[in-house]
Amino acid sequence: MRGLLLSLPLALMIGLLLLYPLTTLFWGSVASAGAISIHSYIELFRDDYYRTALLHSFLLSAVVAFISTFLCLAPAWLFANEEFAGKRLVRALYTLPMSFSGIIVGFLAVIMLGRIGVVPQLFEKATGSNYLSGSAYQLVGLVLAYLYFEIPRATLTLESALRKFDPQLSLAARSLGAGITQRIRLVILPLIWRPLVSTFAVTLTVSLGSFGVALIISKRFSLLPLEIYRAITGYGNKSMMAAMAITLVLLAFIINYSVRNWTLGATEKA
Amino acid sequence: MRRRRAVSFAMIAAHAVTWVLLIVITAPVLVVLAGAFFNTSFLGLASEQWATGNDRTFLTSSWFGYVFHIYGGSLAFSLGLAFLCVGACILISVPAAYAIVRTHSLRSRMLEELALLPLSVPGIAMSIGLIQAYSIVRGQWWLILCGHLLYTMPLMMRVLTSALRSSETARLEVAAESLGASWRQRFLFVVIPNLRHSIIVGSLLVFAISWGEFNVSFLLNTPLHQTFPAALYATYTGNSFAVSSAATTIFLAVVVPALLALQWIGGGEFTRLEQPA
Repeated sequence: MRGLLLSLPLALMIGLLLLYPLTTLFWGSVASAGAISIHSYIELFRDDYYRTALLHSFLLSAVVAFISTFLCLAPAWLFANEEFAGKRLVRALYTLPMSFSGIIVGFLAVIMLGRIGVVPQLFEKATGSNYLSGSAYQLVGLVLAYLYFEIPRATLTLESALRKFDPQLSLAARSLGAGITQRIRLVILPLIWRPLVSTFAVTLTVSLGSFGVALIISKRFSLLPLEIYRAITGYGNKSMMAAMAITLVLLAFIINYSVRNWTLGATEKA
Repeated sequence: MRRRRAVSFAMIAAHAVTWVLLIVITAPVLVVLAGAFFNTSFLGLASEQWATGNDRTFLTSSWFGYVFHIYGGSLAFSLGLAFLCVGACILISVPAAYAIVRTHSLRSRMLEELALLPLSVPGIAMSIGLIQAYSIVRGQWWLILCGHLLYTMPLMMRVLTSALRSSETARLEVAAESLGASWRQRFLFVVIPNLRHSIIVGSLLVFAISWGEFNVSFLLNTPLHQTFPAALYATYTGNSFAVSSAATTIFLAVVVPALLALQWIGGGEFTRLEQPA
């Protein structure tokens, strides 16, 4: 009884600020003219315009998640298992972009890769032609900007997984005569592929929901969060907007919870 | 001999990737700092130059003056929001975390799950949910606070529940109870003092996240109650590089100390300062 009373403010807050708005949103996506229909969702997958946004969002996020997972194996491995000068400082600097919201990352992309960005200017000084000028506003820039905020997330997630990995196992396999491909296939991959997949999933969901970066630098490339924003600021229809938002929420939930259950199941089996 | 070389090659590659990524991470931030402090008039005229006068020095703080002059109100508003957020999070989370950890029921487990749920809801979806659900009170400043609470409360809850689960508090409480301490005395004089460290860690997280949060701050923002992240967006879209850099530096000036403090006093598993992108 006392417990109920103590957690009442939290429960109220969750009900009023989380569940009620999400329900309103869901209701808005299925109610049309007093009847219930999933018309908006069908439209979302059928209409070229919206389908492109959904597909773009998913593909961009998947590509970025894939690259960051593999690239960040290197720093994650060093932070987890090696000692080198300045490691603490380097690690601290790696966590910095995680505290930036999307628009700041977008701004940084413009500074570095905009039409008169630092990188094209340096290229011009060095070679005479301004390579990469304005690339912030193209797909390359979008990928790089998304990578910027995913690098710390991927590194830290992988690092805590790699801490548990025992390098002795690989050495033991080697002393028993296993070659490098055998070691990777039979020792290293079975131990680290679950963390790899969960890192992929974490970065994928963060990218899917990211809004600020695209708001600053995406000019023509349509993405789901951007379409939601366009719908709310003007001409879009309300039930379509709600349907897109609910789709985004469901995607994030499905990815998050399936991966979590999967990793939990693995630790229980082990 | 060949094998050893293969291993060291992998090590060199790992170091190379790590240092290249480090440059990629830090270079843009350094450029922003340079743009904020150095006189960049050699890049050309900026429309804000009237405000800075005929400042010919190499190092300048006049861009900051401009930002404080134009966006000072939103700066103060966002700082106020962050402080209110910390207060509300402490008041709501401490009793709730205590109740959740001490009662082993389905209801308390569900409540804990629900409390962490906002972390996996994309900010833009949550913001338009709030807008649609509370369209009547849209434009009220406390609606922004509500949105911030939604995204900061889970962080405080995570820090507190993990501290309560791992610490000796439960045994100390039993000892206090056996000595005749009432429930209220135990909560005030045993539980809360033991949570002091976690409350500080949680408050730092809440403060920094509330300060930088963009989605809710931007979409529920109104001209009368402009948040600092919305002001940042305004500088990015409307001001020169130097002014945008100065505004970003002001953002960093609050976040980086929080980050350092967390590194210094933290140590738990939930002390990551992670802003939704």
